[in-house]
Amino acid sequence: MKKVKLQVCNGTTCFVMGGADMQNMVDQLMVKFKDCLEIERVRCLNACSLSDNFAKAPYANIDGQLVGNANFQTITKIIEEKLSND
Amino acid sequence: MFIDVGCYQLKKYNQNAFGDDFVSKREKSGKILAVLSDGLGSGIKANILSTMTSTMLLKFMQRDVPIREAAEIMMNSLPICQVRKISYATFSGVDVDAEGQVRVVEEGNPSFVWIKDNQLQEPEFSQISSPSFPDRHLNIYEFKALLGDRLIFCSDGVTQAGMGEKDYPLGWTRENMIEFVLKTVQNEPSIASADLAKKIVERALKCEKNEQAQDDISCAVMFFRQPRKALVFTGPPYEKQKDAEYSRQLAMFNGKKAICGGTTANLVSRELKKTVITEANANMGTLPPVSYMEGIDLVTEGILTLTRALEYLEQGRLKVSDAAGVLVDFLLSSDQIEFMVGAMLNQAHYDPALPIEIEIRRNIIKKMQKVLENKYYKSVTIHYV
Repeated sequence: MKKVKLQVCNGTTCFVMGGADMQNMVDQLMVKFKDCLEIERVRCLNACSLSDNFAKAPYANIDGQLVGNANFQTITKIIEEKLSND
Repeated sequence: MFIDVGCYQLKKYNQNAFGDDFVSKREKSGKILAVLSDGLGSGIKANILSTMTSTMLLKFMQRDVPIREAAEIMMNSLPICQVRKISYATFSGVDVDAEGQVRVVEEGNPSFVWIKDNQLQEPEFSQISSPSFPDRHLNIYEFKALLGDRLIFCSDGVTQAGMGEKDYPLGWTRENMIEFVLKTVQNEPSIASADLAKKIVERALKCEKNEQAQDDISCAVMFFRQPRKALVFTGPPYEKQKDAEYSRQLAMFNGKKAICGGTTANLVSRELKKTVITEANANMGTLPPVSYMEGIDLVTEGILTLTRALEYLEQGRLKVSDAAGVLVDFLLSSDQIEFMVGAMLNQAHYDPALPIEIEIRRNIIKKMQKVLENKYYKSVTIHYV
């Protein structure tokens, strides 16, 4: 069974730009993808410190792919694509 | 040797202001000054009398003004009560240098208690009278305190608690308080001053009818002990090539260690080759959750958590279970706190598009130093890296 690894940023910028709702999102993703998804909360992905990128916070990393404006919809779409490419 | 200072107070039942006042100041030389004052009556009037007295005496002690002269000035400066036609606030002032040389001056408060090796000590004292107030006498003590000693100061709200009640016709009394302190210290030899002061006050309150304080009840404790040291590393260093050096300093630190900041946690993790773990289902609350790293006692997010912890410290909210509450607990269970503050700014934090205003890290830390020193009597140093 293919498994996707999701890292959710808990850094300051991501948190104030919407990451505060992450708990809810993490719970929903766990229910939706069950064993196909491994979720890791990380202290900071350092993505916002790359120039001009901070406008896209909150960030997530899905199997090495940096995702800006992370929310339930954008993350679900990418995970589904990755799982269907299997 | 570190002098752990703690105080706990209760207002007289139904009053909206404390009639007793406690102030303490840790001088740069390592000297500690503290004053406990009890104003005549209760409520606002008592509060003004006690606050004026404690503030004046602290200033006089800071400037080494002779105590007789200081006491005269204080007694003459207090506003006169319209009802009683007198002005009055009792006080206990204490001055301890870094070597443990103690000087206590008392006027009107119950005599302080000195505990050494779980035994009550009875230090000698000299007495001087006020030229303009002949019925007011100052007791002056001078002695040397050693590691493990404790000094306990209280207002008469403690010793007279429950006075007139069937079980306490003379109040709880100083003797009963001493017995309670000896028993408590025997059971908890390393009990922090703030905790012991709280226990004493809460025990005194139990003597009162319906547990409603009939007077202001205050207790202050000084405990001479080995310092509990803590280091907080927050913010990436200005020069990236020094990441390794500061990470090593953190790892080698002889005491408790905390990291406040995602980027800081990442750089320490990289340099020390230790993983940072945040539980996926950790309870977030309204702050990012705490993380774990081997060898580090606490890892949190930076600015938001520090800002919230500062709020909790300023407001005296000490039992909150979010990451800032855990940080507050970490700080308050330490005596000497060192902040290693990285000077590198994360530009993203200062983007006007951010929905909240984020304060500059060094300002938060400076405010935190102030509140930890002035309200919680900690010794705090900051160095920027």
